[in-house]
Amino acid sequence: MSIAFEKVSYTYAPKTPFEYIALKNIDLAIELNSVTAIIGPTGSGKSTLVQHLNALLLPSSGQVLVLDRLITSDQKQKNLKALRQKVGLVFQFPEYQLFEETILKDVMFGPLNFKIPYEEAKQKSIQAIKMVGLDESFLERSPLDISGGQKRRVAIAGILAIDPDVLVLDEPTAGLDPQGAKSMMELFLELNRIYHKTILIVTHDMDHVLNYCKNVIVMKKGEILTHQRVSDFYAIDQGVLDIELALPQRLRFMNALRTGGFKLNTSIQSIEDLALAIAQEIKP
Amino acid sequence: MNNIALGRYLPLDSILHKMDPRYKMVAMLILMVAIFLPSGYLGYALLSVSVLIILFLTKLSLSMIFKAMKPMLFMLVFLTFINALVLRTGTVLFTYGGFTLYSDAIYQTLYITVRLVLMIMTTTILTASTKPLDLTLAIEDLLSPFKRFGFPAHEIAMMISIALRFIPTLIDETNRIMKAQASRGVDLKEGSFKEKLMAILSLIVPLFVSSFQRAEELADAMEARGYVPSLPRTRYKQLKRTFKDIVMMVVVSGLFGVIVWLSL
Repeated sequence: MSIAFEKVSYTYAPKTPFEYIALKNIDLAIELNSVTAIIGPTGSGKSTLVQHLNALLLPSSGQVLVLDRLITSDQKQKNLKALRQKVGLVFQFPEYQLFEETILKDVMFGPLNFKIPYEEAKQKSIQAIKMVGLDESFLERSPLDISGGQKRRVAIAGILAIDPDVLVLDEPTAGLDPQGAKSMMELFLELNRIYHKTILIVTHDMDHVLNYCKNVIVMKKGEILTHQRVSDFYAIDQGVLDIELALPQRLRFMNALRTGGFKLNTSIQSIEDLALAIAQEIKP
Repeated sequence: MNNIALGRYLPLDSILHKMDPRYKMVAMLILMVAIFLPSGYLGYALLSVSVLIILFLTKLSLSMIFKAMKPMLFMLVFLTFINALVLRTGTVLFTYGGFTLYSDAIYQTLYITVRLVLMIMTTTILTASTKPLDLTLAIEDLLSPFKRFGFPAHEIAMMISIALRFIPTLIDETNRIMKAQASRGVDLKEGSFKEKLMAILSLIVPLFVSSFQRAEELADAMEARGYVPSLPRTRYKQLKRTFKDIVMMVVVSGLFGVIVWLSL
């Protein structure tokens, strides 16, 4: 059981003037039961990469192993449904996929497609809706007249109700308010800690990478620049990666404090530790 | 979704790409009329050679044309079948059982096939060598003489260009929603009739919702910038006639004259 890419390349619209190589010879092994962030500038191939995980895209060359399923460039892949039940993919701006009359029905759409019995699907859906922070009064409302942030939650609940082992999220917090984004990230962390789900998050938010993720994959122009522990990643000088990445707020603050004469240990891992360290420094 | 070859602009660097879209459009219309004139073997041979030369000048490959023609294949088979059954003139080619095949059935089918192929080639040449926006500018200019009779040339051109502008957006959107629903277990290939119906619904409803939203946003954005369709407007892109265009018009008109003469 693992998730591994072997020499995977992907080309959009091959053999036409619109040909575009989105992934170049990717080798990658993703740690199971952990939270991994995928970062990189727009057009670096992040979204293309994650769409290989549930075989929405088949590699142009190379192969992808997802759990116990081998995906090759062979066009006649059979029974992809079984794979898609295990790997849930939430697209960017998933609120545009809602269509049912009520929120409950919409969330149940996924589980029912995967032939989960009606009562069980209903129970799982109600649980998923509660998990994303919406109460029971939402169940019978239309998914089309709630707010944008609430729609996002319903759409994510629609994937959670399928109960996948691997959860892939393409910019789940884009366009959410900071509080909403924070509770969303905490939900994913909880899914990992309590239900041992493998979580992959495509994001642009460096604070989320530092605060919630264990591993980080950096992509640029269809290639993987680095793949390592978040703690190691922020310990090195990122200039060597030749990529424009903003530092997370906490690290920027710590750097500013250091230049201001504070002695801060590099092993500080959270805001609480940092607060303690600062308190110690300014003690008379 | 990605292999629609019919009517797509191809950014190549050819002499036809640089021509004035108004003249290209008129030339295409003249060629179309010529294609539909009954000009006999010689006429069609002449037309085929000319269209092939233009195709070569546009730097389009023949395989592209074949791709564009794939959807027509079924129609051609159907036509052959109907013609073979219905047409009862000309000489008898063979009889099998109670069925007789006449020579005219074959000739007629061949004529229609050649016409169709030539028609698709000329339209493909036009759309592949002209940006959709330039095409609508040309339409607006060509229709503008009718403005004095109250014909809304600008409005129609604007409607066409907006519609064209949103075709790729809608295709992208459809692909995106299809993938999102596929992640929720929708399978358009397998499953019962009821499941397929549900799958189509799960695609169409979000597509409609987002299209209406987009339309409203676009209308707001246009109004915010003070767009009033009936007012006189200047244009950033000016269409310019060059020597190439005149040469092309002369050649095409000459060809048309020959075809008319042949079909008399």
